[in-house]
Amino acid sequence: MNEELKEIYQEVILDHNKSPRNFRKIDPSTHTSEGLNPLCGDHVFIYLDVQEGVIVDISFEGNGCAISKSSASIMTAELKGKTVEQAEQIFTRFHDMVTGKLTDEEEIEKLGKLSVFQGVRDFPVRVKCASLAWHTMHAALHSETEVTTE
Amino acid sequence: MNQCPLPGWRRHDLSVTFDKTIYNEIPYKFEAGTPNIADTIGLGAAIDYIETIGIDRISTYESELYLYAEETILPIDEVTLIGCAEKKGSVFSFKLKDIHPHDVGTIMDMEGIAIRTGHMCTQPVMKHFGVPALSRISIGLYNTKADIDRAAEGIKKVLEVFA
Repeated sequence: MNEELKEIYQEVILDHNKSPRNFRKIDPSTHTSEGLNPLCGDHVFIYLDVQEGVIVDISFEGNGCAISKSSASIMTAELKGKTVEQAEQIFTRFHDMVTGKLTDEEEIEKLGKLSVFQGVRDFPVRVKCASLAWHTMHAALHSETEVTTE
Repeated sequence: MNQCPLPGWRRHDLSVTFDKTIYNEIPYKFEAGTPNIADTIGLGAAIDYIETIGIDRISTYESELYLYAEETILPIDEVTLIGCAEKKGSVFSFKLKDIHPHDVGTIMDMEGIAIRTGHMCTQPVMKHFGVPALSRISIGLYNTKADIDRAAEGIKKVLEVFA
């Protein structure tokens, strides 16, 4: 497989695509939002249970490509137990990484497992696949019920 | 009717003074600015090109290539052909297991094969077939059997990545 392809379809990404984590509805949830990319049809619902500023539980449902599904799955795994403030900071860093604004290797390493998505920056049309779940999570925390990445 | 024309190149007005403007007759009064000359000339060139080759020959060639695509790609077990209308154009729309077409597209792109992926702006059709989107090989007169062979290889590559 060529290097760029290996970068984008890493084992971790393929694994989360095959068996997504936290793929369920939280009911009742404190925050929820629906994310849609009308151009490609990726569709995600994010559910959060936030107690005293801490994300006690987070989950997702929906369908999309391997990149969007694994991104949602890994996001839920990474954000569980974090504070809302931390989640927002991670979102900003993640977004900077996939759009190619964050290139410092040390900073990217700090993103831990999320760094597997750095290869996405070489595929401009796939950036929105990787960031849809994040935008939706962000919108849910700000009580926006619907978000589109067009 | 007080339809105010746009200013422009064509003789859309016959006489203009501060006191009175006399507009030309319809359609000229509405044809302001430089007409789309480049596209018109381009269309003429495109028609000439197709007539030089012959639209029947193009149709025959594309149909042959399409049949070759069926012979070459359909034997791949994971491929499901969508759209089997008689006398359809030379397009090969397909589903590849449960692999999302955008993943199919990215991987084939890396192999140098350009295909169309997505809901094809026909979401009701996607719903009918129970798929979120499809992948489509669109065959044109500039394609060859070798291109179809490469596309088949590309599809196998996708299956390898998602094994």
